[in-house]
Amino acid sequence: MSRDRVQPNCWVALKLPSEDFKILEIVPNTTISLGKYGSFPSNLIIDRPYHLTYEIQDKRDDENFARLRVVPAAELNADALADTSADAEEGETEEETIIKPSDGEELTLVDEASGQVVIRSKGEAIDETARQTLTIQEIEELKKKGTSAGKELIAKLLLSHTAIEEKTAYSLAKYKLLKTKKYIRRFTVLPLDVPLLAQWMLEDKDASKIMEMRNESMALVGCWADVHYVAPHLNDAEDESGGRWLVVDDTGGLLTASLAERMGILHENPDEAEKPQEENPEVQIEAGSEETKTEARPAKRRRPDDLELPFAKRNTLTILHHNTQPNLFLLRYFNYDSSDPDPHPPYHPLFSNMMSLSWLQLLNPEEDITLANPPEEVAPEVLATWKTNRRGNHHRKRRRWARTRHIVDSTRAGGFSGLAVASPMDPVSILRHTLPLLAPGAPIAIYSPSIEPLNSLVDCFSVGRRGAWITDPPKEAEGKGIEELERWEGNAEYPLNPTLVLNASIQTSRAKRWQVLPGRTHPVMTAKGGAEGYIFTGWRALPVEGKIEARGKFKRKKADPK
Amino acid sequence: MATAPQLLEPRQRSKPGDLAVVLLARDSYEPLILEQSTGAVDGYAEGAMLNTRFGSFPHSTLLDIPWGSQVRASAVDTGSRGRKRRREDSGDDASTPALEDTEGTATPTSAPAKKAVSASSGFIHILRPSPELWTYSLPHRTQVVYTPDYSYILNRIRARPGTRIIEAGAGSGSFTHASVRAVYNGAPKSEDDRKGKVFSFEFNEARFRKMEEEVDSHCLRDFVSIKHRDVYNEGFLVDGKSPMASAVFLDLPAPWKAIRHLSRRRPQDMEQDASDDSKWVSALDPKKTAMICTFSPCIEQVIQTVSDLRKLGWVEVDMVEVSNRRLVSQRDRIGSYLPKEKGANPNPADVTEALSKLREVNQKTREFTRIKANGREGGQDDQMDVDGSNSEREPNANNKLDESSTEKSWMQGRLVHRPEAELKSHTSYLVFATLPPEWSEEDEAAAYAKWPCGNEAKVVGSLDKAARKQEKRDALHSKKKRKQDQADGEAQ
Ligand SMILES: C[S@@+](CC[C@H](N)C(=O)[O-])C[C@H]1O[C@@H](n2cnc3c(N)ncnc32)[C@H](O)[C@@H]1O
Repeated sequence: MSRDRVQPNCWVALKLPSEDFKILEIVPNTTISLGKYGSFPSNLIIDRPYHLTYEIQDKRDDENFARLRVVPAAELNADALADTSADAEEGETEEETIIKPSDGEELTLVDEASGQVVIRSKGEAIDETARQTLTIQEIEELKKKGTSAGKELIAKLLLSHTAIEEKTAYSLAKYKLLKTKKYIRRFTVLPLDVPLLAQWMLEDKDASKIMEMRNESMALVGCWADVHYVAPHLNDAEDESGGRWLVVDDTGGLLTASLAERMGILHENPDEAEKPQEENPEVQIEAGSEETKTEARPAKRRRPDDLELPFAKRNTLTILHHNTQPNLFLLRYFNYDSSDPDPHPPYHPLFSNMMSLSWLQLLNPEEDITLANPPEEVAPEVLATWKTNRRGNHHRKRRRWARTRHIVDSTRAGGFSGLAVASPMDPVSILRHTLPLLAPGAPIAIYSPSIEPLNSLVDCFSVGRRGAWITDPPKEAEGKGIEELERWEGNAEYPLNPTLVLNASIQTSRAKRWQVLPGRTHPVMTAKGGAEGYIFTGWRALPVEGKIEARGKFKRKKADPK
Repeated sequence: MATAPQLLEPRQRSKPGDLAVVLLARDSYEPLILEQSTGAVDGYAEGAMLNTRFGSFPHSTLLDIPWGSQVRASAVDTGSRGRKRRREDSGDDASTPALEDTEGTATPTSAPAKKAVSASSGFIHILRPSPELWTYSLPHRTQVVYTPDYSYILNRIRARPGTRIIEAGAGSGSFTHASVRAVYNGAPKSEDDRKGKVFSFEFNEARFRKMEEEVDSHCLRDFVSIKHRDVYNEGFLVDGKSPMASAVFLDLPAPWKAIRHLSRRRPQDMEQDASDDSKWVSALDPKKTAMICTFSPCIEQVIQTVSDLRKLGWVEVDMVEVSNRRLVSQRDRIGSYLPKEKGANPNPADVTEALSKLREVNQKTREFTRIKANGREGGQDDQMDVDGSNSEREPNANNKLDESSTEKSWMQGRLVHRPEAELKSHTSYLVFATLPPEWSEEDEAAAYAKWPCGNEAKVVGSLDKAARKQEKRDALHSKKKRKQDQADGEAQ
């Protein structure tokens, strides 16, 4: 499947003239309605490239659907570029552009907020009063009424074919407003990827569900946790498992999705673009249309052994969650159903490269119900006598047990290449239990909407605390080796072993948007408020064993100014 | 077959030939290629040596150890290289005398002083390299793009595993390293196996050479192509072939002079040699949307770039500025009765403390007056001392300090944060734009034939009034019908 074109049944974002996004699954043979903006058949965008801007046409007399017209870039940019010439020439030409639409063009005045058509220059009955010339008093009156009245005024002026002077009293911004209305039926088709999903969740949908994490924060976490694709096989046998990242995600799966995107495991078949898979649509349809989740499978495809593990050893994400199941609902926009533990092929890459376990399974696996009840061995002859349903349950149980066992064991074995966190839970408690799981040298990146939790975390690694830990270790730590101290349980003075993290730091980023138009370039006037977003970064350290603690005073901190 | 470069293969231990980043002190990094030595190197019997202001470290002590390890300095015979001082007790941490710097280590004359010195200055940490560590440790030849900018840029231009990205100029290679991590999706198996790759161009000869060296020593040859090129005039093809790029990053003084080389067809302003018109090759992948970012410090550059991008048919033109702040966490220790340590503010902590302070002064004044009066009457010297001890401070209840808390100054005071002393308040403006693939009438006709319209079964998305009414009517109708059926059933 090529990701360069709109595929049937994939999610896309439609960008509307209001700058809002509409997130839709593109089901073939349906009508996509953009409400007031019009509607069109889904088939008209399927198999077309992304990033095209369309205009919804009027229905032809002999057709029951509206066709689309691709709006050429020159037309899209005409406004911004037209300003250049308008600026270069004198005001007179400008006025000309304001009132005279080019041949056959329809001027429609639209309320930007509601998308409501206020007035149209032709085709509809126009309020008789608008045809009359307005008096100066009327204009002043309307001006006083505020912005929305301004629109009304422009509409009236526009349609009254007079009073050019008054029109120019209105700013270029109003002129923009005038020009935008004819784009009312335009939309742009964008691929739904993580940056776009994040923007949509933050600005249009529900920022609290993603902990108000902005794209700039998300990008920083991905980089500082050094998350990237890792090749499935190494030439040498050493370090067979590599590129496993540990994740604590309370953003509904947004953080997970962003990391998966960096690792090339989010989008289905990202590499397949060049392969001739498309030529074989039947296979795909067969697999895709399979709705039954029962065990009744065609006999030709042998079901693998229940205890066979579907998981990759490298390039994986391990998600720690606080409910019995992880909350990764946003992954559905990438066609991954995280609630189905036992999907059928073709598998989403996340099925093999993402694992999840609860904090209880990590810290007290003996208390886990699945693990506590290993499924019984049943002889094949006996199994054959069972009813289909019972047999299916048996297989499912065995598979779940084997997978859970593997996930818990491999996670507890540690050696993770990095840690990425976005969670309202106290980061100190998170690190207390995850630091021992990180390979020394592994980077750590933690997102928090507010700075306070991260500030307390950094304080755990302050110069003073580290120095004191070495020169005058707490009683509970005495006589313990490095490995034991990696699992330091924390006390009031040392919530964490302060020597386990290097270069603990906090930063914050904000991308400020600008408007760039000739003569009118400035930062945009409003932006979303709310959480600023902070990132903690550091590296997991492996302190030297013994001696260095035994040595005398550690008073001078020149090696470690803070 | 090419192996995964070390930068993109998170192993657990260091090995010869690896790039390591040494953490000397907070925010102080130094890159180092680890060497395995078989004999003396540069006069060091231990072989290749890292000399720092915190001591000397033979590479052998940095090899085959877990990344993140703390490593003690070694006592090293500096041979002819430094002062001929040498300590036998090699088990001790020791800064190499030859390498003492100004703020450095006290001369180890007495035992306690020696201990203090070695403990505080005799170690480093060795980190597994990442583009971030490289960016903050690389030898600067130019201004570089730092993590706050490049993380955001790579995100916006959708540089992901498999992306082919063009970059100019390479400069110091900071962005190069970040982008190769972003686009890496394995080593190409053959000549025409198209994998994620960085196509980098640099016009300054010395910088180009240095970049070549680094790409080589970081084993990135298969993943980064670096060309010595003036991209304004010569564009972005590599050996006449298209890099087939879908992402572009330009960090050049005049990006608008380069973007015309990034068209889908021969731009009009490029001289047309009628004979080879068909041979014009685009550097972009014709099937993919191209995303560009240009990076310029001045607004004038932005305006020119934006205008040219629009003229050349790029859409969704957008400009942002990323402002990043690093925050320092500290404890604000305020109080007149805190031990006089560095960092403590002797201001009264609160009004109560201020009052008690004032009362003390009052008392002292009174006593002083009294002593003076006494003195005139022939006072004694020792009277002063007694009085002095009488006026011992009386910390208020809120700020009582017992013995243990004096030691734990790192737990005292309020935990606060503030921006770093030196702020990077402006780096550059980031211009983004998108160039969709070409879509011809024929393409559209073919797609329409494959996906014919007119048989739409249902409506999705936001419904307009008419559609909603219709839907309601349908629902009502079926409800009625159901009721009717039910009634019929009951009647029977
Ligand atoms: C600011 S530096 C780039 C820094 C780089 N982005 C980094 O992160 O290290 C700009 C570089 O562009 C190079 N350059 C300037 N004009 C060029 C041209 N026409 N073609 C290729 N490179 C050019 C300069 O030599 C300089 O090294």
